[in-house]
Amino acid sequence: MSKKYDVIVIGAGNGGLGAAVTCAKAGLKTLLLEKHNLPGGSASSFVRGRFEFEPSLHELAGVGNPEDPGAIDQMFRRFGADVDWIRHASTFRLVVPAKEGDKDTFISEDGVEVTVDARMPAGFEPFAKKLEELVPGSYDSCMAAFDLATRMYSALDKLEKPLEIPSILKDVPDFMRITGHTINEVLDALGMPKKAQDIFNTYWCYMGVPGSIFDYLYYSLVLHSYVKAGTGIPTLRSHEMSLAVDKKIRDYGGDIWYNSEVTKVIMKNGKPAGVVVNGEKEVYASHFICNSHPNITWSELFEEKEVPKKQLKMLNARKVACTLTTVYLGMNKTKEELGFKDYSVFIAPDSDSDKQFEDCQNLFNGFCIINCLNEINSNASPEGTSQLFLTTMSFGDVMKDVRPQDYKKFKNKIAEHMINVCEKALNISIKPYIEEIEIAVPATFCRYLNTPYGTPYGYMLEKWDSIIPRTIQYIQDQPFDNFLFCGASQERGDGYGCAYYSGEKAATLTIKAIKEGK
Amino acid sequence: MASKIKSVKTNKFIPLLSGRQKKFEGEMARLPEMPDQAFVLAKALHPKKQFLKVAEVIERAEDCKSFVLVPDEEKGTKSLAYFGAGKYLTVFEEVEGMKITRAYSISSKPKDSLEGRYMLTIKRVDGGLMSNYILDTWEVGRSVTVSAPEGHFEYQPLRDAKNVICLAGGSGITPFISMAGAVIDGDEDFNMTLIYGSRNRENILFYDELEEINKNGKVNVVHVLSDDDAEGFEKGFITAELIKKYAPDNEPYSIFICGPQAMYEFLDKEIAKLGLPKKYVRHEMFGEFRNPASQADYPSDVPETVSITVTIQDETTTVTGSTNDTVLQILEKNGIAAPARCRSGECGFCHSHLLEGKVYVPKALEYRRLADFKFGCIHPCCSFPLTDLVINVPVAK
Repeated sequence: MSKKYDVIVIGAGNGGLGAAVTCAKAGLKTLLLEKHNLPGGSASSFVRGRFEFEPSLHELAGVGNPEDPGAIDQMFRRFGADVDWIRHASTFRLVVPAKEGDKDTFISEDGVEVTVDARMPAGFEPFAKKLEELVPGSYDSCMAAFDLATRMYSALDKLEKPLEIPSILKDVPDFMRITGHTINEVLDALGMPKKAQDIFNTYWCYMGVPGSIFDYLYYSLVLHSYVKAGTGIPTLRSHEMSLAVDKKIRDYGGDIWYNSEVTKVIMKNGKPAGVVVNGEKEVYASHFICNSHPNITWSELFEEKEVPKKQLKMLNARKVACTLTTVYLGMNKTKEELGFKDYSVFIAPDSDSDKQFEDCQNLFNGFCIINCLNEINSNASPEGTSQLFLTTMSFGDVMKDVRPQDYKKFKNKIAEHMINVCEKALNISIKPYIEEIEIAVPATFCRYLNTPYGTPYGYMLEKWDSIIPRTIQYIQDQPFDNFLFCGASQERGDGYGCAYYSGEKAATLTIKAIKEGK
Repeated sequence: MASKIKSVKTNKFIPLLSGRQKKFEGEMARLPEMPDQAFVLAKALHPKKQFLKVAEVIERAEDCKSFVLVPDEEKGTKSLAYFGAGKYLTVFEEVEGMKITRAYSISSKPKDSLEGRYMLTIKRVDGGLMSNYILDTWEVGRSVTVSAPEGHFEYQPLRDAKNVICLAGGSGITPFISMAGAVIDGDEDFNMTLIYGSRNRENILFYDELEEINKNGKVNVVHVLSDDDAEGFEKGFITAELIKKYAPDNEPYSIFICGPQAMYEFLDKEIAKLGLPKKYVRHEMFGEFRNPASQADYPSDVPETVSITVTIQDETTTVTGSTNDTVLQILEKNGIAAPARCRSGECGFCHSHLLEGKVYVPKALEYRRLADFKFGCIHPCCSFPLTDLVINVPVAK
């Protein structure tokens, strides 16, 4: 029998890194196994020519201020991980180009006929004031929505502790009322005008479910965390976060093996007891934390008969979340020369999040987020250049008709489509100045993340499968008492912060179990 | 305003909890349907390794052969990964107890891979470990292990000009043979002019194939001979003047270059005279960097030999090697398999942790990520040791 560890963490995505660093810091003998040669999963970077691209991070909520660090900054301080944050104090700009037959159109500052052009500041008061300016009569409801979110934060903390759930009723009386209601239902009750709701809902895509499905409580917390103190990014792309945590895992005495794919979980007495690495090497441990997507974990690492029945049922009940397509552009012009004024612009075919969601059932849609890293990171690319990345989302098997020989043309076709959407909505010229381009479609995400459809988001946060029941039922949803999942498939869904949180949580439960001798 | 929230009904909390578990209970206890196409494509285009057999050996010149490779079904490779013209394969071999790798451009066209054929064309390099080994030992029926197709030396319609002047030297012709095939097949759509520099008529690789390609009309082939004066051939070296002669007058054009290190040094100066924007000049990598001490920024007082303590998974070994070799070469020469693909710094596949010691990285091969500098990560394939080192390297793959 090979070396025995206390904990083996399968996969060094954000969740796995958070789990491994927490275990190693607590003094557990920890082994982190990763199939790729780098840590981070989505949190990485890549170099093309003279550009280093950010693969996935738009911004992190919860970075906060140096004096008042947000949840993520606090977590990295807990880990002791050294990340140099760039803090950023605006949220988003939403642009909805006019379609034929649209009423209430106007000409945007870029000279494009639009129905919405909303550049939203950070801070509750400034955000609500801007919303009032754009949609008169929306200020009070917007402030009420933020107020509700502020109160819900304490409820979410209590949800983690089963014994404290009853006290939620006393301390946060509106919690029961809000629970299970969608964004649209609650904002309607608060009397927010429809157009203001649409702007308010812009971040729906960060979690992949629209206003008619998205649980209000969770969305309000998401928006709250972005608007409250502004957001942040690591200075050296998200690769900096991943390497900072990698370093701490080693400093605390943990082992990390890259290019080391878990190809099988070894079962003993009906419970996981070890893993096979790259089909040849066996390593044993008493506990496991799995950052691999459950669909892949159960189909690739276990025999079907070894999988607890409930886990198989869960796979069939849950809907795989959205997939992304991203175009990375190294531009041989500065952002000023290109005419960029914002870090993050959401271009949508319609202001209504449900109509955007519907549009995103196809890959070739009118939805695109365009980010210009140079806007908040002045060293994002060499002098005289800039880098952009364009993101759209889609649902389901959008590559179903693509054969290997069509792959390159398919990638170029979707990239050109997305660039056209941005050029038209912002009245700018991108194509002549492309010095480097890379295109990531769902198959690309599949290659690096090893998830069904290439989703980075885990499972869709449907009404019945929202954060509240997921959180309360976390323990009963885990497959074995010594094998816990972490990552985007878990209770808080996708997002760097959520994944790190889930890893830290799984590690905390594992540390407790080991200390109690379980 | 706070009172408005009272109009929301408080009836959802309990049903939400019981409803979710009931939903699970009602499902079938079996694995879901077949994988989706994104998943299938990811596996088909990026296999971990491809197990092949030599099906045919073609003598190209005295010191150059082409090898036609087909799937080795017995070893589990049923079909070949499709690729974009210009990509390379990394070949894995064991030579004199050393596990080594080399990257070779695919010289067959993409369409052939659908019929189960790749072609690699390999020229003997003076003192070249792999090239000599391959030319001496690869024969029909031999098993060969290669990587998935890799690399970024490809035509990109959203980035490159519609007119592309391809400059090839010696065996640097190989990716362009593939590209010309792709243009003729309609898999790529650009106006290709291929300017191919050789010493003399006898040294030209793929001469007959290039004649055929030229006749087709879609690709314009120009031969340049440095040592011979022959009719129908340009004489001398590939210069800015010569490029201008074949470039379109009033339209933008891209330049793609593939050849030996010396050719790049000469051509970079010529191309600079043309004043093209950076985006229109693309280089293929030229392989391993040699003789680091010849570089102006190489430090003095470097010892001749160093020791390297390397940890791979749970095994730690200490080896010694020459400071004239890269960290990767030292490991390989000591029989340690290490991950490698491009061997030119660019792909980052060998990304490793430098825990103690110092290395020299030639500027032209510096493709590390910013955070790699902050946290002490290196690409062993282009890092030359300056002191004793302690490193942590991922297992070979």
